[in-house]
Amino acid sequence: MLTASSIAQIMVSGLLTGLIYALVAVGLSLIFGLMNVVNFAHGEFLMLAMYATFGLALGLALDPLVAVPIVMAALFVFGAAVYLGIVSYAMRARVNSGMVQIFSTFGLAILLRGLAQYFLTPNYRSIAHSWLGSRTFALGPIYVPAPQLVGALISIAAFFALWLLITRTDFGKAIEATREDADAVALVGISKNRVFALGWGLGAMLVGLAGAILASFYYIYPNVGGPFALIAYVTVALGGFGSVFGALAAGVIVGLVEALTAVILPSDLKEVGVYAVYLAVVLFRPRGLFGSI
Amino acid sequence: MNVTRRSVLLGSAAVMATMATRVRAAQPKEVAIGVLYPFSGPSAQVGVDAKFASETALDIINNRHDLDLPLAKSAGLPGLGGAKVRLVYADHQGDPQKGRAEAERLITQEKVCALIGTYYSSVAVTVSQTAERYGLPYMSADNSSPSLQRQGLKFFFRAAAHDEMFSKGMFDFYDWMRKKGTKIDTLALFHEDTIFGTDSSNAQLKFASERGYKVVADIKYHANSPSLTAEVTQLKAANADVLMPSSYTTDGILLVKTMAELGYKPKAIVAQAAGFSDKALFDAVGPQIQGLITRGSFSLDLAAKRPSVGAVNALFKARAGKDLNDNTSRELMALIILADAIDRAKSTDGEAIRKALVATDIPGTRTIMPWKRVKFDAQGQNEDADPVLLQYVKDKLVTIFPPQAAIAAPIWPMGA
Amino acid sequence: MAPRLSDPAPIDAISGSAPVGGSAFRRRRRGEFVAAAAILLAAAALPLGIDSVYVENILVLTLMYAALSQSWNILCGYCGQISLGHALYFGIGAYATTLLLVKFGIPPWFGFVAGGILAALVALALGYPCFRLKGHYYTIATIVIAEIASILVLNWPWAGAAMGIQIPYAQPSWLAFQFGRSKIPYFYFVLALAAVTWLATWLIEDSKWGYWWRAVKDDPDAAESLGVVVFRSKMAAAALSAFFTAVAGGFYAEFVSYIDPDSVMNLQLSLLMALPAVLGGIGTLWGPALGAAIIVPLSELTRSYIGGSGKGTDLIVYGALVMVIVLLRPEGLASLLRRRPGAAVP
Repeated sequence: MLTASSIAQIMVSGLLTGLIYALVAVGLSLIFGLMNVVNFAHGEFLMLAMYATFGLALGLALDPLVAVPIVMAALFVFGAAVYLGIVSYAMRARVNSGMVQIFSTFGLAILLRGLAQYFLTPNYRSIAHSWLGSRTFALGPIYVPAPQLVGALISIAAFFALWLLITRTDFGKAIEATREDADAVALVGISKNRVFALGWGLGAMLVGLAGAILASFYYIYPNVGGPFALIAYVTVALGGFGSVFGALAAGVIVGLVEALTAVILPSDLKEVGVYAVYLAVVLFRPRGLFGSI
Repeated sequence: MNVTRRSVLLGSAAVMATMATRVRAAQPKEVAIGVLYPFSGPSAQVGVDAKFASETALDIINNRHDLDLPLAKSAGLPGLGGAKVRLVYADHQGDPQKGRAEAERLITQEKVCALIGTYYSSVAVTVSQTAERYGLPYMSADNSSPSLQRQGLKFFFRAAAHDEMFSKGMFDFYDWMRKKGTKIDTLALFHEDTIFGTDSSNAQLKFASERGYKVVADIKYHANSPSLTAEVTQLKAANADVLMPSSYTTDGILLVKTMAELGYKPKAIVAQAAGFSDKALFDAVGPQIQGLITRGSFSLDLAAKRPSVGAVNALFKARAGKDLNDNTSRELMALIILADAIDRAKSTDGEAIRKALVATDIPGTRTIMPWKRVKFDAQGQNEDADPVLLQYVKDKLVTIFPPQAAIAAPIWPMGA
Repeated sequence: MAPRLSDPAPIDAISGSAPVGGSAFRRRRRGEFVAAAAILLAAAALPLGIDSVYVENILVLTLMYAALSQSWNILCGYCGQISLGHALYFGIGAYATTLLLVKFGIPPWFGFVAGGILAALVALALGYPCFRLKGHYYTIATIVIAEIASILVLNWPWAGAAMGIQIPYAQPSWLAFQFGRSKIPYFYFVLALAAVTWLATWLIEDSKWGYWWRAVKDDPDAAESLGVVVFRSKMAAAALSAFFTAVAGGFYAEFVSYIDPDSVMNLQLSLLMALPAVLGGIGTLWGPALGAAIIVPLSELTRSYIGGSGKGTDLIVYGALVMVIVLLRPEGLASLLRRRPGAAVP
């Protein structure tokens, strides 16, 4: 039987992990909320961000924390490029556009994994020395590792910043307007295409932030994105597509449920707890917790 | 598995009887062997390393090397007039059906005379069945599931140990340590949920109950989980004398990092190799696992007594940039043993090679492995493939068990 | 209005038919049937000209995916409920057939049917709560349900758990559904399965169900009034789709003689069942078969001939090609086959 402090440890870790899941998920939610596109290459965006952070650590001896803004900027550009080069074509499909988006990004995911394998080899990498990576704080009997703690705090800060962006800035209003009625915004001088591209850039940038943080304590290889992506999809759906706050809440819930299930059931069944919670929620709220679409 | 040897024998006899009579061609210039590993997907690095190992073995077989290994001193296969071996690589992507499709392609289109591989035990099931149907040998280079040789196949051969033999080695070590006065009573198992983790933990549970060790935690986890905190917290709470992980590289790295983050320092770790024999893991978390013990098939420090070990390792390192390890050493050695059998068979006929494999009797000193010898039993398993236990000290894996192979005393507990 | 996931174009746009019942319509229907029969005969004659086990294998896989994608298409293409969890039914079929054979000695033919019925029942049970979910919520629900099932089987010792189950060797016979080294009988079985799924789709197109679904997609408000009726037809479509998928799963188990959760219940498989339909044309008659005929050989050949290097070049080729096909022809390659001068396309 586990002691109270063990259970407390598990819950604290679950909370921190959940906040990081939320950060991974919010980019996906944003993009979907904006233009109804599910990016099936989301995990690969995360993978690229992790490799970029690793590369900067290896090549320029940059600590992941320092590399964060660079990686975010790089992913912003990459996200916008993916929109302009691929997704905008997918959205032009008059028919089946939902499936076209899914499968064109599915193809992109395979392509990116192949490219990563080709150029970077499938070997497992990790950043050996990072400022955060080796520290852990002991609060009584509970250990709070620095990377996860900082990651969780950054996640909260990012959500706050995102909220400010959407509610207080013109760009944020443009995003809301475009989401409401993408065709009408042209009438008020908003270029739908530009908003979409920036939206993708923003979504990718958030994944980039998550990737840079993860890279300081996680291993990196071409297939690393898969499990995170699956959790991200469930998190976004649980919170409600298009709801930024939903992604935050759902991320925390997923992290906690996953940790708790690993204790109650054999650990390899922990994802079942998360999936069961999702199904239970949508049974009563078909649009997730806070979804409006 | 319910295949009876008789039914498969009847089946393959029928198959072979319907094969057109083979025209005994003039000595072939080239002998093809099919090599199946995962070259894409999550285990792609294994395939990449296996290719280096296979190419090194090919170099030894096809060219003259002054080493005391089968086929090293000659160029090509002398029994077939100096014919060179050609390797045909195929990617099975970890899928048993694709493994079978590639095996069939290699046999029918590339005309290989034998198959070797596959890392995944699930793929080995279908590939070995295919080899049986076509009447040519399948050499399991690095599959460790004990159930494979129990399928009752005539054409299945495995030169290296399987998980029961490896786990027995671990428990022999525990018994030996206990006799010397070390307290080892409780064990914590930590294993992933695929065939490898299941086989490993089953064997460990069996030996633990047979030999009087108490398993205080049996944590089965989902491979490639984003977080292992809950699992490690449970291990920490159990605080066993020995932590026994059966994990691949990714989970191994995460396990060690999580243990460090949660302040869990086990007294001892005895791992079932896999991730814990991968240089990438030691590059990532080496400093945190000083004193970790793992089972292994290969002792690099044997090079001090047996020059061929160092020489072959150098050949491999020149290609791969790292030393031979548990996997790559088995893959390399198995290929040489297979080629040696083809050479002794003096033929590319499947049945002839099979007979030559059955007749194999190579003393361990003529291999690069710490084995007693290579001799396949009735099921095709080499029961003399003695495993070793290695301990990670400074940045090397040092052999600590069995005593006749050990070059240093074990450091126990690992933090001492 | 942003496009909704569950909103593929009305079938009319692809098949370009005039409203129901006209003689042009009847002629088109007959034409489709005749074309299908001709293709079936040609396909049936294929093995005579082929000598290579490897090519036969590709044909079997192509037909299996054609059947799978066609089954998927019934529910997802025509009905608009995009499921990415069909591996669940495939796995049910594979495991039902295998367990019945290995544990109880029941011949595979019964296993196929039993698996199919079980899958249909599961589909009905799941459809009930799930069909009220829209778009991506439904899709994610299908994904997690399949994942739950996969994890449960992985932990079920009686069903082999992680070790999987091997089907023992039996003397070649149609009863035992084993044929030694020959793949020809498998080819004919799966050709028949593909034909049956095609036929089911063809019949549905000109049926009450087909009209209801088209009506619902054309005018979602009409769905309100058609409510219960549409719901029942969707349940039936789900059951039918699951049935055929499970039969294909049972076939696969017999074909490979070894199954484990990873090979018959994983997410990738669900995506691969949908992919041929997407490439060929969702909600079309020929889309899935056409898509399968392109993507399966492509995937097999790239893996075999450029896959052994460890450099991932086959993934690059495969991924790029999927993207290109999907983007250049979003309505699917089947649209290339259609030429309707003056057809109205919204």
